[in-house]
Amino acid sequence: MSRLPPKGEQGSFLSRRNFLVASTGAGLAFGFSALVEAAMDPAAPGGAPMAKTGPQFEPTLWFAIDGDGIVTVNIIRAEMGQHIGAALARILADELEVAWDKVRIVHVDTDPKWGLMVTGGSWSVWQTFPIFSQAGAAGRIALVEAGAKLLNVSPAGGAARDGMVHVGGRSISYGDIVKRGGVARQFTPEELAKLPIKPAADRKLIGKPGKALDIAAKTNGTAIYGIDAKVPGMVFARPKLPPTRQGSKVLSVDDGAARKVKGYLRCLTLDDPSDTVPGWVMVIAESYPAAIRAADLVKVKWAAGPGADVSEKGLQDHAAALIAKADGGALLDTKTADPAPAFKAAKSVLEQTYTAATVLHFQLEPLNALAFEKDGVMEIHTGNQWQSLILPTLAKALGRAETGIVMRTYMLGGGFGRRLNGDYAVPAALAAKALGKPVKMVLTREDDVRFDSVRSPSVQTLRMAFDGAGAITAMEHHAAAGWPTLANAPALMPKGKNGVAYDPFAISGADHWYEVGAHKVRAINNDLANSTFRPGWLRSVGPGWTNWALESFIDEAAHHLKTDPVALRLKLLTGAGANAGSDASTVGGAKRQAEVVRRAAQAAGWGQSLPKDTGLGLATSFGQERDMPTWVACAARVHVDRATGVVTVQKLTMMTDAGTIVDPDGARAQTEGAALWGLSMALHEGTAFENGQVKDVNLDTYTPLRIADTPELDIQFVDSTQVPVGLGEPATTVVAPAIANAIFNAVGVRLRHIPITPEAVRLALAAGKPA
Amino acid sequence: MTQFTINGRAVSIDADEDTPLLWVIRDDIGLTGTKFGCGIGMCGACTVHVGGRATRSCITPLGAVDGAEVTTIEGLDPAGQHPVQQAWLDLQTPQCGYCQSGQIMQAAAMLKDFPAPTDQDIDATMSGNLCRCMTYVRIRAAIKQAAAAMGGQALSTSGGKS
Amino acid sequence: MLKRLLVGLLAAVVVAMVGFAAFAWRPSIGKITPPAASGFSPALVARGEVLAGAGYCSTCHTAKGGQPFAGGYPMQTGFGTIYSTNITPDAKTGIGTWSEAAFRRAMHQGVARDGSHLLPAFPYDHFTKLTDADVSALYAYMMTRPAVVAPDRRNGIAFPLNIRALQAGWKLLYFRPGRFEPDAARSAEWNRGAYLAQGVSHCGACHTPRGALGAEKRDKAFAGAAIDNWIAPALTAANPSPAPWDRAELVAYLRTGVSHYHGVAAGPMAPVVHDGLAKLPDADIRALAVYFADTDGAAGRAASLAPALQRAAAADRLNVGPQTDPSARLYTAACASCHYNGAGQPAPLRPDLALNSAVNLDDPTNLVRVVLHGVGAREGAPGVVMPAFDRLSDADIARLATYLRATRTDKPAWPNLEKKVAAIRAQGK
Ligand code: FES
Ligand code: FES
Repeated sequence: MSRLPPKGEQGSFLSRRNFLVASTGAGLAFGFSALVEAAMDPAAPGGAPMAKTGPQFEPTLWFAIDGDGIVTVNIIRAEMGQHIGAALARILADELEVAWDKVRIVHVDTDPKWGLMVTGGSWSVWQTFPIFSQAGAAGRIALVEAGAKLLNVSPAGGAARDGMVHVGGRSISYGDIVKRGGVARQFTPEELAKLPIKPAADRKLIGKPGKALDIAAKTNGTAIYGIDAKVPGMVFARPKLPPTRQGSKVLSVDDGAARKVKGYLRCLTLDDPSDTVPGWVMVIAESYPAAIRAADLVKVKWAAGPGADVSEKGLQDHAAALIAKADGGALLDTKTADPAPAFKAAKSVLEQTYTAATVLHFQLEPLNALAFEKDGVMEIHTGNQWQSLILPTLAKALGRAETGIVMRTYMLGGGFGRRLNGDYAVPAALAAKALGKPVKMVLTREDDVRFDSVRSPSVQTLRMAFDGAGAITAMEHHAAAGWPTLANAPALMPKGKNGVAYDPFAISGADHWYEVGAHKVRAINNDLANSTFRPGWLRSVGPGWTNWALESFIDEAAHHLKTDPVALRLKLLTGAGANAGSDASTVGGAKRQAEVVRRAAQAAGWGQSLPKDTGLGLATSFGQERDMPTWVACAARVHVDRATGVVTVQKLTMMTDAGTIVDPDGARAQTEGAALWGLSMALHEGTAFENGQVKDVNLDTYTPLRIADTPELDIQFVDSTQVPVGLGEPATTVVAPAIANAIFNAVGVRLRHIPITPEAVRLALAAGKPA
Repeated sequence: MTQFTINGRAVSIDADEDTPLLWVIRDDIGLTGTKFGCGIGMCGACTVHVGGRATRSCITPLGAVDGAEVTTIEGLDPAGQHPVQQAWLDLQTPQCGYCQSGQIMQAAAMLKDFPAPTDQDIDATMSGNLCRCMTYVRIRAAIKQAAAAMGGQALSTSGGKS
Repeated sequence: MLKRLLVGLLAAVVVAMVGFAAFAWRPSIGKITPPAASGFSPALVARGEVLAGAGYCSTCHTAKGGQPFAGGYPMQTGFGTIYSTNITPDAKTGIGTWSEAAFRRAMHQGVARDGSHLLPAFPYDHFTKLTDADVSALYAYMMTRPAVVAPDRRNGIAFPLNIRALQAGWKLLYFRPGRFEPDAARSAEWNRGAYLAQGVSHCGACHTPRGALGAEKRDKAFAGAAIDNWIAPALTAANPSPAPWDRAELVAYLRTGVSHYHGVAAGPMAPVVHDGLAKLPDADIRALAVYFADTDGAAGRAASLAPALQRAAAADRLNVGPQTDPSARLYTAACASCHYNGAGQPAPLRPDLALNSAVNLDDPTNLVRVVLHGVGAREGAPGVVMPAFDRLSDADIARLATYLRATRTDKPAWPNLEKKVAAIRAQGK
């Protein structure tokens, strides 16, 4: 399974090792001037980076130490609630041997030197762990050597602890070493690769409790988000959004009524060579409330682009029709035989279709961007998850080189994948260019929703062949949906074994670790979806629907076979052959998945008798991608009210094996959030396309999970020293199927669409036929 | 001209009376800890105190606070050490943090009415505050911790909630 | 023959008109030089200030953002917009040249100094009950206010209703001049309350329904009426609130704007309480409460309180726990974070919506208006705000109102709510 960024990009990210050494060679010395123009220090009041005292020691691109021994770690990942800086800095600080209270983090601006800047896919810890371990170790070794030199003793046998070098019976602090100057050390890539990394048993920060560094600012109002960005002389903009996401053209603009609004300045029809925001009219005013009011009064006539009449049903019907056609779509290489013969020979075949509704990101901070030109550079101040992706688009839109654009990093009031797509930077920048002054664009919530890159609705059909002995001989998984990677980063799509390019994000999860014999996985693009809107990556992306179908289907297969669903899973998770695991990240393979299933079932009391209309259901997943598996299982305990159809989730038991847990509290927080997202998408949220737009644009009708809907959570992690993998998303994917399976166990009806509404449950109960 | 006090400071604002208080606080007064989430009074990100009660500033017209006392997250406690804030810190409640000013203001106001809140009290009074990162488990726990620190005895009548 | 008949008819009309003119005619009362403020005793002025408060003179005689008593406040009536007049002692544009006799005639008979008839928007039908001494006090108070130059605005009343002489006919039909007559069978406190309520405070002006020509229906005193795009609820036993308006409730409401069970003073009632009655001493507020606790039959309804509270407490718990009904979710997210009760008792500053007047009225107007426009810090409960949910759609607000009506009361659903919300929204604030 390929991932994004594909291997090539991934390689260039890791090749920073070279750069790291180069930068070491170029300036590893005291007094090395600060490389980093920091935008954001989430630990400091107002987010301003703190002044550093005295000379600096910057042994690598990734961190600096000042004369007080304060270590500042440069974070290229966006902070959107995962306390990622704290997790990453912890890796570095542990290896560098400094106390946690001496560590600061800085979220840096875009600069080519950082390479690929992306925060998503739950990759951050997994990708950064080796780099930061080595960077920390390199720093420690350089400091021990320098300290020994300053103390006039041999470095042999020297060690570092808590920001002090102890050598030859004497000690000196990192801060003093930095102050006294004279450190010079280079590491070749080969040396770096061979640096001694601590054994897990010696870790002082990784896996230990500790405070994240961004919390205080998030409790006292000083944290600075994109929406808080300001510069003198800026004007405010709110867009008038065209009837379709793509291809709309402005015919006329009438701002007669808006002119009466105090502070209204003008309307600006955007000319966008990058075609990111076709048909946008920016309403400019001296204040944001004036822009809101004026925009309500501006009348724009458009020629609508494609999709103006598309409905949710139309999208789903189209997807179903695509699945019904035998050809079309990309076939994943599952390294198994063609299942056709097995289906022909099958004693019985099970086939079911599962659907999932359109879902909004609804990150709480509406999209915004502040743009202005300064010293020949277009500065864009905003929170963003994937700066490298949008820079070329911005360059095209503005007609200037990427080097003439910089994105300054702010905290994100939620990302969940919405801000991987930096499209919202484009209209702000275009307006700033056209007006020649700073423009701060803020979308209202309704604007934000209409401009969302929603999670596409999806249709999936799964089939399974059984032989006479009740063994599974083959399986097929056909999944049709709008493809976010096609819409946002088509160059990064790999090819299937039939040569057709596909979106790995839209099918990941279907390529599971169960032993099912011949296995066919077909990813189909719902082209109507992609022409109607821009599908987005939404927390967990494809597995949000593929695992919904897969894990519901595995339960249905168990019932078909009249076996216990947990027993069937354990039987299929053999960990043999292609499912054995092949490298450090996947070591153990499906056996580790079986283990979380076993533990979750046990923790939840699988098999115990439950009150009437109450049921336990289980689902499992390997997280996002086969080569970075996060093994997770969830048991949901639900009660169904037969009269109203209301499903009450009483408890979710989550069992996770994510390898080494770097930041235990952060890991727990991510899992809490992910599990509740899963619950929200299972029961509470979902919208529908109507006339080419989603019908729910604010919280009056869009109803994500709230505190009263929050059940008891039992979250446990498997103790492990394996490679740390991602945690931001996997738990979202198991909750919906666990609930559907639990509903079946409670009242004997099978729900195959999410969100599961009380009405759907009532109808299913009325139909009266279990399964 | 609308006059009121904000965090104890008297201000006089020359803007349309129907301008939402939220933008006056953020853009005119420059206190950006109060956030914009939905603009229709249904997410709570913009919650401030008016006369000591949690109030959604995004739908409060400036004219409505004439003569009133407004408190924002920046003024809840001069050092950011209100018991609610301390509990939030202690339990590392925020994720992205965007909703948390509003959550904290709502919780601080709620504890005046419910010094020892049950889960049901918390659910009923905090349901207007959306947390998209879904930090609800910690919000519940932090409110109880704050209540305990403030001397109220948090009761658990949870019916299975953590 | 026909011609003669026509001439005769015409003659009869002319005679009738002349007769009516003679009846309608009132002499002008001579101008005086505005009296010096120092000529009035401070005690008298102080008494006048209280009465002016009790009569909310400034509410109607002050335009938004304008000088006190300088007029220009628009009143929407079924006959057009009427602008109040300048009653500061400015000689040119106010009442500076009015003698006390002229002032008294205006108060007691609804006739201006120049002899023209005043429109009944000026509630002389109530002020006629004032004692001479109280009129003197009011005169003293008004004549000691700062004079403001502010010419009166032309009223927007259409012909022929704008003919002042016609007002005489109206008076003939509806106006009963005469001072307040105490009821010997009642306590002094009751009589004081009745004097204030029927006289200077002119409660019936809003709370008594009016007939086609705008006169209060005497037989329906305090039966409730629509006024200024709001509903002034009945102050009789017909009041639909589940909790009786007893003395304690009335005292709290009239004194502070906040009642324990019924809600806060909003809309046109807000200035009545906060700018007007605020001037009255506690004894007068108690007297008003005694009077209205009698008109609304609170004593006979005392037993309804306990079940009403029980019902309210049960309704309050409806929004605990997960909600799946979309309207319940809407309510929980938008409203329940303020409208909660502490410790099983309605919290006065958080109106309990099962007990609240607006939810229980036959007409949803007050509820819709409050939801749309909120309640400012100078209205309702002082210093506290209810925000304005006007960014919710008509459908959303209709859903909320329907939900509250269904879950908080045992009254029939309001019909055509969405349309009604749209109409109320169109009226503006
Ligand atoms: S922004 Fe005010 S409640 Fe959402
Ligand atoms: S912490 Fe992100 S919205 Fe609550």
